[in-house]
Amino acid sequence: MKLTRRNILATAAAAVLLAQPLAAQAQQLPRNVRLVIGSKSTGGDTYQNSAIVAEALSEHLGINVKVDAVGASEAFKILERDSRGTTIMIFHDQSYLANLYGVPGYDDPFEKYTVGPSVAINPGNAYLVAADSPYGSMEDILKAAEKGERIRVAIQPGGVSEIGFSALKNAARVRAPGSEANIVPVNTGSQSDKNQAMWDDLADVINGSIQANEQFTQLPADDAKAMRFVWITARPETIAQAPAEGMGKTSRDQLLGFTSPATSVTLDGTSDFTFDKEFFFLYNKDMDPAIVAQIDTALTEIFAAGKIQERQKEAFFIPNFLPSQEAQAHLSAKRDTYAKVIAEISGD
Amino acid sequence: MFEIISPLFLSLIVGGTLIGIIFGAIPGMTATMAVAICLPLTYSLGLENGLALLLGLYVGGISGGLVPAILLGIPGTPSSITTTFDGYPMAQRGEGEKALRIGVVSSLIGGLISLLALFLFAPALADFAIKFSYVEKFLIILFALTVMAALSSDMLLGIFSGFLGIFISLIGAYDVERGGNGALRLVPPGTEYWLESGFSLLPVLIGVFGLAAILEEAENGVGLTRTASSLKIGKGSGFSFSVFRGQIGNLIRSSSIGTFVGILPGVGGSAASILAYSNAKTFSKTPERFGKGEPAGIIASESGNNGLTGGALVPLLSLGIPGDSTTALLIGAFTLQGIQVGPLFIGDHPDTWNAMILAMVISNIAMFAMMYFAIRYFALVVTIPKHVLYPIILMMCVIGAYTINYGVMFDVWTLLIFGLFGWLATKIRLEIAPFIIGFILGPSAEIYFVKSLESFGDLTIFFTKSWIAMVLWGLVLASLVGSITMARKRKAQVDLQTSRGTAP
Repeated sequence: MKLTRRNILATAAAAVLLAQPLAAQAQQLPRNVRLVIGSKSTGGDTYQNSAIVAEALSEHLGINVKVDAVGASEAFKILERDSRGTTIMIFHDQSYLANLYGVPGYDDPFEKYTVGPSVAINPGNAYLVAADSPYGSMEDILKAAEKGERIRVAIQPGGVSEIGFSALKNAARVRAPGSEANIVPVNTGSQSDKNQAMWDDLADVINGSIQANEQFTQLPADDAKAMRFVWITARPETIAQAPAEGMGKTSRDQLLGFTSPATSVTLDGTSDFTFDKEFFFLYNKDMDPAIVAQIDTALTEIFAAGKIQERQKEAFFIPNFLPSQEAQAHLSAKRDTYAKVIAEISGD
Repeated sequence: MFEIISPLFLSLIVGGTLIGIIFGAIPGMTATMAVAICLPLTYSLGLENGLALLLGLYVGGISGGLVPAILLGIPGTPSSITTTFDGYPMAQRGEGEKALRIGVVSSLIGGLISLLALFLFAPALADFAIKFSYVEKFLIILFALTVMAALSSDMLLGIFSGFLGIFISLIGAYDVERGGNGALRLVPPGTEYWLESGFSLLPVLIGVFGLAAILEEAENGVGLTRTASSLKIGKGSGFSFSVFRGQIGNLIRSSSIGTFVGILPGVGGSAASILAYSNAKTFSKTPERFGKGEPAGIIASESGNNGLTGGALVPLLSLGIPGDSTTALLIGAFTLQGIQVGPLFIGDHPDTWNAMILAMVISNIAMFAMMYFAIRYFALVVTIPKHVLYPIILMMCVIGAYTINYGVMFDVWTLLIFGLFGWLATKIRLEIAPFIIGFILGPSAEIYFVKSLESFGDLTIFFTKSWIAMVLWGLVLASLVGSITMARKRKAQVDLQTSRGTAP
């Protein structure tokens, strides 16, 4: 074939035509998607929740979505490198709380990434005391702090586990300025470490969860391992969506007794502090908005079908789908509230 | 109890055990990985059948690690590291089949003893486990670290190598998830991006054991491959159950140590076989034979790491707290089915409890049957020409390193860096075994030491905390005295040989 002007033009036109479907494809999620999560555990709530969502997306879009539990640090690095939509991420409030607490390696996710839709809430974040503790409620704990008693609270610093502790300090500050100094952290790691801190009498109050600690609240009072719930940080309307039978031998109504307003930890003297651990997508900042829209649309259809909610509730998650824009506004407002709480107790 | 047994239940256990053995036998693949991959399947299988599959994978995965540890000198899993110390020298003498059979029998006994403990004493053991605070856990790790001295051929260099391992293990962030503050330590400027999470254990392990050995062979020129006739296999393998004569104490002690380490959350699976090995050497009448192909070493290591399997289920099923990384995944299987695990689990779900015990018993028997009778064929691996075998091992090591953290390329670089390190280290007389033990135990030693001081105030707490702490100090001292005595005897022997002019 001679390289005539006509041939060159014809070849170029054909190439443009052939490239059309490829360009259209580029605005879609690829056939194989890697869903990285901010946890290294494949047995934890982030993995379970992400696996449910990944399976639903795979079925709905006819693509492969594979969950990889690479952990927060590695997940953020991978997400930063990939703007094609091949890698997306699911994480929870830890992503911005760790940034607020100044944990190294955590950037502001609202600036560095695109916050995508939220999918579910783990309503379990809770605080417990030993069964034989002199403190029967949060009111007792705050009053004791006002009287000058030192209250030791076992937490994992720098995120979801600490935010309730910060709220407790803030409530003490609002009620009786200065008394917040009597609420001190005991920095531990896993749930096992927090429980152990209580059994070793190193902590008066521990951060835990409904799922992991409920059975300890059912033990006879003379059992050294027995505990009592004193506070569940979730909003009452979140717990109200849990199954009526609640968790284990604690019914939903009983759980509601440990949430606001029945159990009050004040935010500012007028309203109560609440915290729902919400799971949401994070995308590379430069990812094609068409892919963001595609995931939003797919999840809207999946949640409209109603099947995923059943799976989530079976695993004690509360369905909480918000499309990207709504999720961004909601999570951003939530972040601002917690930033204020942390700033207040830091004296900033 | 037995009504749960169905063809599906049985085939899931047997299939799970087989896949687990394969995962354990491939360097870089672990029981944890096998369980993680199959976890989503359990949702459709139902709880009992799902657990049958996962427990089969768990038992198979822990047991399969002994195959490459013995035949290739590469621990298939971190918990089989001490199996290499005596298994590989035996394989080099052509006694691979004998070593494998000793390992498999020990694994079965370790697994069954720990199951018995689980079945009879789970709640009581869990109550005992909660008496172990940071202080006691630190002392257990310290006790395990004393094996560095026992394993050193030159005490000073060995201990230096061990401390170097600890030092390198601490590179990276002070892990927030373990109660740290997330601050970076020991990270050279400009390398923060890669070293933020430090070096992963498994790539380091297969680097210093696997890649270093291949580089060594390459340097020396790949020698002649063994022929099947030079191997002691079949009736000539030299294995008989009389090997276990005089080892009953070792078996029971090592299995109990494995079970005990399993019930302590956070201490880590690798510590089980290290402690069992250390004890076997301390209490042996012929400690000088350890590390040179002593069957008692394999017995201790394998009964110790399989003892872990039942032990790690104790805190999981009695406290809702996993005893090791694999049982942490089992919590996911329960949660997917909407079942809570905690102190009321056994009483509330007797059917599931019985199904788990049965699945573990059947899985141990299936593991024994499959491995014991297939060993002859495993042992022939060493007859594969090295120019074929080594590239395959290298490829598997790279794949294993890449997949261990679900696709992190830096783990492959870690493998290569530590392969080179392992090869060069022996040239400057650094010792690999103490180094890797320091690397494995370093992070736990640090966190428990720091947390003990944070929680209790000062150093005296390590001596005054409890009677358990005093017992552990006794064991630490016994181990150190044993190691020093042995090193002196060895030196005296060498001096004697030198004076007679018979030194090697």
